[in-house]
Amino acid sequence: MRISKFFLTIVFISISILCSSQNKDSVNVARRTTNLIFSYNSSLIYPGLRAGLEFPIKIISISKQKKSDKKFFFVKDRFVTASLSWYHHPCFHDNIYLTAGWTMRRTISTGLVIEFSPEMGYSRTFLGGTTYKVDDNGNVSIEKFAGYNYALVSIGGGVGYDFSKTKAKPFIAFYKFNLLAMYPYNSTYYLRPAMEIGLIYKPTNFLSHKVKTKTIMK
Amino acid sequence: MKRIQIIAVISILFCAACQKEKIIIGTNVSETFYVDNAGASMRVLVEGNNLSGAYLIFVGGGPGVGDYFYNTDYIKQNIENKYAVVYWDQRNAGGSQGNANGVDLNLAQMTEDLKKVIQVLKYRYGKNIEVFILGHSFGGLLVSSFMTTADYQQMVKAWIFVDGSQNYPLNDTLTHDKLLAIGQQQIAQNKNVTNWTPIVDYCKAHTGNYSFDESNQMGTFAASAETYIDSVNQINYLNTFEKYIIPQDWPVTSIAFNYLYSSNAPFNYDLYKTQFSTSLYKIVKPVLLIFGKYDFICPSGLGDDILKRISTTDTRMVISPVSGHDVMFQDEVLFCNEVDKFIEQHR
Repeated sequence: MRISKFFLTIVFISISILCSSQNKDSVNVARRTTNLIFSYNSSLIYPGLRAGLEFPIKIISISKQKKSDKKFFFVKDRFVTASLSWYHHPCFHDNIYLTAGWTMRRTISTGLVIEFSPEMGYSRTFLGGTTYKVDDNGNVSIEKFAGYNYALVSIGGGVGYDFSKTKAKPFIAFYKFNLLAMYPYNSTYYLRPAMEIGLIYKPTNFLSHKVKTKTIMK
Repeated sequence: MKRIQIIAVISILFCAACQKEKIIIGTNVSETFYVDNAGASMRVLVEGNNLSGAYLIFVGGGPGVGDYFYNTDYIKQNIENKYAVVYWDQRNAGGSQGNANGVDLNLAQMTEDLKKVIQVLKYRYGKNIEVFILGHSFGGLLVSSFMTTADYQQMVKAWIFVDGSQNYPLNDTLTHDKLLAIGQQQIAQNKNVTNWTPIVDYCKAHTGNYSFDESNQMGTFAASAETYIDSVNQINYLNTFEKYIIPQDWPVTSIAFNYLYSSNAPFNYDLYKTQFSTSLYKIVKPVLLIFGKYDFICPSGLGDDILKRISTTDTRMVISPVSGHDVMFQDEVLFCNEVDKFIEQHR
């Protein structure tokens, strides 16, 4: 008797979760263009630049009916990104790094954007001054392009405004905070905060490809 | 894609331009270069009056404390105006960079690094420049190693020893004795009794043949002990950071992570038994010793040991009555006057 009660409870809960009668989901495939990213990649007070591409992978549009009968609409975008970045820290180093990442972006109907993106890649630094090497006989020579190779991971989050939602302009202005970690740096880690202010341009047709889109009505 | 390529090419050219050799001789120079040795690229900043032909190298403490901290306005105005000051970040310290180079972090390698830094200075600024080396704290051990290795002391005109140590086992004994003696005095005078009591109790319970952990514990007590003495000028580290981080382009996370790594690296275990007292007889170069009266980390008894053992009578020892372990910050006037006078006398 106890077992059948437990079983019935599980079935009831499962039905109420899975079989929501008001949901109208549809899955489609559509062509989407690749976005271009350009930003000022400041490492707090030090200058830098970033350029990259966003390849859309998945788009989920969600429409929710609120209790007040108002409709709430937002889009979840998923991108694979590739970027080339650089910053300059005087007398310390210049760092050029190439990263691939996964961006999760949410855009609400008013145009407000929030996003989070983990990335990983390769970093090459160039030391911030002439670099000398001395051999065992005391001969001094200058090393060209002295610097180091590092593995780099980055996590970042930011906010922005999508002008295509309200003003039919094909770009997003954004601010993003990233934390870079490079390894192995003197047998330990090197952490560096970086702030980005930039634009994401959505061209009408640039490296467009098929993307899975899903619409969920709640 | 072309745009990305153009940006990449411009960036590489820009970075290459930073690394172009540029040597300035003048009364107010500021030049950064790097010395690459055994997996480490060590930052060297030369500032001040290098037209004078005299170069004072700061060999900092730690291990792992970068030389950014020594580059103060007072030193700029009172030493750099007369001589060039060389701020050298040792391997795995400050703005020095590298990959997996922890295996080369040891005193013998750092001694070779210092030799190469001097060789590069002579390459850049001329063979006839006059080099003075100043070792502070752990830098005292490194300078002692340098001065007693082969004929390296011939590369310098003289050496300056500031709150340094040439003998870590002796250092532990002197620290213990000073903590106990002054701690008991302070308790008798009813001063900071709650702070001094655990220090005095610890020293009474640990009386000699110190282990690595005991040595570290006494070091921790020694660092805080000077803050309990009323007559010591206390350092406001927060003010120092605020004042210099941005104008001097400190790579803050590099300084922090290098320090954390170096101060806990395995070679610290070797250091705690290291001493150069028995080799000091080799030294024939003039020496200036400056200690803080209330330096518990490197007590002035270490200076007495040096004076007793070196093979020169051209020596001077000065005790600052208002300093602990960092006389160059706690008694700037005395420090700069003494260093200036000593260099002038030995040029």
